[in-house]
Amino acid sequence: MRRFNIEFTVGLFVIAGILCLAYLSIKLGGMELIGSKGYDVYALFSNSGGLKQGSSIVIAGVEVGRIRSVDLDDYQARIVMNLNEDVKIQEDAIAAIKTKGLIGEKFIEITPGASEKIIPPGGKIRETLPPVDFEQLLSKYVFGKVE
Amino acid sequence: MRRKGWIGIMLLALWAACGLDPVWAGVPTEKVKETTDKILAIVGDPALKDPAQAIQRRERIRKAVDEMCDWEEMSRRSLGRHWAKRNEQERKEFVHFFGQLLERTYIDKVEGYSGEKVNYIGERVDGDYAEVDVKIVTKENTEIPVLYKLRTRDQRWWVYDIVIEGVSLVNNYRTQFSDIMAKSSFEGLLKKLKEKTAE
Repeated sequence: MRRFNIEFTVGLFVIAGILCLAYLSIKLGGMELIGSKGYDVYALFSNSGGLKQGSSIVIAGVEVGRIRSVDLDDYQARIVMNLNEDVKIQEDAIAAIKTKGLIGEKFIEITPGASEKIIPPGGKIRETLPPVDFEQLLSKYVFGKVE
Repeated sequence: MRRKGWIGIMLLALWAACGLDPVWAGVPTEKVKETTDKILAIVGDPALKDPAQAIQRRERIRKAVDEMCDWEEMSRRSLGRHWAKRNEQERKEFVHFFGQLLERTYIDKVEGYSGEKVNYIGERVDGDYAEVDVKIVTKENTEIPVLYKLRTRDQRWWVYDIVIEGVSLVNNYRTQFSDIMAKSSFEGLLKKLKEKTAE
């Protein structure tokens, strides 16, 4: 009886440990188990700059959603964004791909617009800006001056 | 009965003529090219090179740009969500000073023109919106990508944003204006614009 109790307790701890690990990996990985809340909008970018699924979307630096998918569509990057339900995006809002720091990870920053029209779920953010390619800019200044 | 049919056909023709057909509105690339050519002609005009003609030259460039740019739309988008809270008078004032600021900032650059080539790469039309891809080739053979964003208003194409090297004019001012608005007020922003244009 006593032996059974010890084995039972150890088993419980092991299961609790596995559950904790699963919870951590889901939370840290930014995965959603049962569907996801909020709504989706998409945007076309001439260059995704290495943006990945799960990258964050911010307004004024505050995270308001995550990237659901990045696909190629007619040689452009089609990015589907999952936004929090309470976030409303105006029709003339601009979605720009930015880099954390100079070489950090990529994220999308949305600057709200002036329009009274709100983009509905499944709608498109028309105004997009690809990431600024610092390497290319630099090389232009370095090699462009050759006379 | 026959007369009714005729009226129907005439109404249909009228509707087709008035509809916002992209062909009717004029090809976006042509709109951009027309203005660019006009500006290049003014900048390259030897009769206007004289410093005494500087004011006249500026005026003519501004007039050419006016025919292409939708200042109100640019101002509205640049001010962003603060636009809705402004009354008619404040908006008018803002459009005026913002236009002057852009004129000051960009005409200086245009006046420094020295034989750069302008290549038209392509355009994309999506309903009432269009994008025109342009590459400016400098004398050192450096290519500068410029993207004009246009939309139709009054059956014409108007530029509402210019993206140079992936940096949008509207987004640039939108972030700056919202910074200023967060720190001070709309009056403060107007004051800053006035100071900038009076310099």
